[in-house]
Amino acid sequence: MNSKPFQSSLALHPLRAVRTDKPRGPARALTPSTGARRPTPLWYALWLPQLDQQPAMDGSQQARLEQIAASLGSLSATVSIEAPDSFLFEVGSTLRYFGGIEKIRTRLHALLEPLLRSWALPHHFHEAASPTPAASLLLARAACNLLVYRKDNLRAALGRLPLHTLSLPERKKRQFHNSGLYILRDIWRLPSHAVAQRFGHAFTRQLEQSLGHIANPVQAYHSAPIFCSDLDCTYAVENKQSLLPGIETLLERLCLFLHTRELAAMHLHLALVHEQQGHTEVEIMLRQANRSHAHLQLLLETRLNAVALPAPVIAMQLRVTQFAPFASHSATLSGVPVAQEHSAGLDDLLPLLEQLQARLGNRAVRSIHCQDEHCPEQAGLDRPFGERMPTVIVPPRGASEETQRPCWLLAKPVALRQEDGRLFYYSSLRLLSGPERIETHWWSPQEIQRDYYVARNRQGMRLWIFHERQASTQHETRDWFLHGIFA
Amino acid sequence: MPTSDPDQRLRSLLDSPNLWRGSEHYVAATTKASGHFPGLPTGFAALDASLPWRGWPANALVEIITPLWGTGELQLVLPLLRRISMAGKSALWFSPPCIPYAPALASAGVDIARMIIVTPPATEILWGIEKALQDKACALVLAWPGHLSGKHIRRLQLAALTGQTLGILFHHRNIRHSASVLRLSAQAEEDTMTLTVLKARGSYRHDRIRLPWGCP
Repeated sequence: MNSKPFQSSLALHPLRAVRTDKPRGPARALTPSTGARRPTPLWYALWLPQLDQQPAMDGSQQARLEQIAASLGSLSATVSIEAPDSFLFEVGSTLRYFGGIEKIRTRLHALLEPLLRSWALPHHFHEAASPTPAASLLLARAACNLLVYRKDNLRAALGRLPLHTLSLPERKKRQFHNSGLYILRDIWRLPSHAVAQRFGHAFTRQLEQSLGHIANPVQAYHSAPIFCSDLDCTYAVENKQSLLPGIETLLERLCLFLHTRELAAMHLHLALVHEQQGHTEVEIMLRQANRSHAHLQLLLETRLNAVALPAPVIAMQLRVTQFAPFASHSATLSGVPVAQEHSAGLDDLLPLLEQLQARLGNRAVRSIHCQDEHCPEQAGLDRPFGERMPTVIVPPRGASEETQRPCWLLAKPVALRQEDGRLFYYSSLRLLSGPERIETHWWSPQEIQRDYYVARNRQGMRLWIFHERQASTQHETRDWFLHGIFA
Repeated sequence: MPTSDPDQRLRSLLDSPNLWRGSEHYVAATTKASGHFPGLPTGFAALDASLPWRGWPANALVEIITPLWGTGELQLVLPLLRRISMAGKSALWFSPPCIPYAPALASAGVDIARMIIVTPPATEILWGIEKALQDKACALVLAWPGHLSGKHIRRLQLAALTGQTLGILFHHRNIRHSASVLRLSAQAEEDTMTLTVLKARGSYRHDRIRLPWGCP
């Protein structure tokens, strides 16, 4: 094999290998081409096999990956996590700033060492840098520790990679071995259409990407957004109204933050700091993520009015602990809303309901639900607004007298007064219709056996009353109860 | 030449737009030509006919006065609730005497997902009603506010006008000089409900209407 021309055309520079491989000729550091105005991309790949060898512990692996990616953010603007154990980051644009690849490498080691030590993991990793992300990853995962500056040299650098180091299914690796193919260069000796036919398009695509022949987009990692903003008051504020301009300033910062990141806030905390007395916390949970300044200001004001200040406020802090991606609403071109598409939601009413909840408490705003139950107490429920309930479609009943239900149902049945065998509620009752027998299953915890009647008193009230079928334990007689009012 | 027939002369006088009769509704007289009335149909033809808006007045405050809770006042608004929820609009109920029973409303054709119950403490109820009336997204407010004064009603009427919302207040006491646009007294009897129009803005008629019990 003619290795001389390879060596001269290669820009191979063994990075100070953490685990030394066999020596690769004279080290030669090439500077990036000075003629190009835009720096050529250089992708640095890291392979930390020890991250994946640990048994996956309750999502801590993902947390570790994200922690490393976040710290790599100090070296590059584009960092990508290549699960399960590798990272890619672009250093071509930051080479001059840091003063060369060696400096970057030193910083990288300084970054990773304390992290790995804190997790009690061995401090060694493999690294490679090349103009394409896929090639860097291949080189790093093959533990080559190579630096390739120019795209032209990629083919030569990759050609020596043993095929078993590629991340391929075991079956495919055996297929290569059986075909007498051991390194990548063996593949390139074959006609390309034959390779695609025998080993699949996905494989040839991966090779093309690593050579930079086709684009290889990298999904950049973005850390979770954090918003925390402080404001010191110029004097100790006792009056809540005087806090409003400060809150407005904080909200302005928040809205700018949300707009630039296409986010909306879900959960806000406003801490009002007192001198020597800790702080008062005002918390707002939104039903639907929002980033409207006016709406957030209104909610905070409403919520603030219900809070008592124990001491003058000297500073404020606004934090957002939960974000949601911003979803914009689009109007139709004609201006006519699309055939009542919002029937499922109460979107237009949400700002009002949130304002009511902010002042009156979450439990004061309630929605009502139907349940498919015989027991009248359980057939209709009310729950705090926003709680998810399965939707039960109630078929419209015929207006037959027997199955009428009252609009008001008393929370607890009220025993009716009886005199001389007549029932009284304000005045004597007259039965209009009934009985309708309602029984629950014998296995249900609250066993009821009742005969329901519709009755009317002299005031004209229509009442839903029932007669117990079994005498209760306290009383000898079977009792009559008022359960609802038709209103 | 003057027409000799006195009936014809009277009829021509009555048809003249310059003459306004006290027994006629002002709103009805002004909108007679267009045939379009600004009200929301109540669902009861007899009630519609005796109200100047041919229905509930839109964007205004209505008072319904009953001696006791549960004497037919909900039957009176059920057709309105059905109409509003079917149109995809929402209604807020403030401090109802009991939590409305969902199966009964659903079987009456009301979309219960659009009914929101608000149970504020007694000191906050007027604040809540005003905010809801001022909100344009809310189509109807039903409220059982307890004690009310003329000052409160005037303020709520203004809020209803701002938010273009229909507000219906239920209470027991007839407040004189109230600023509401329509004041009805409901009295249930054997099989009928008698409604008395105590006040309807734009009309001098004080009709007494008997409706069959139960919503149509």
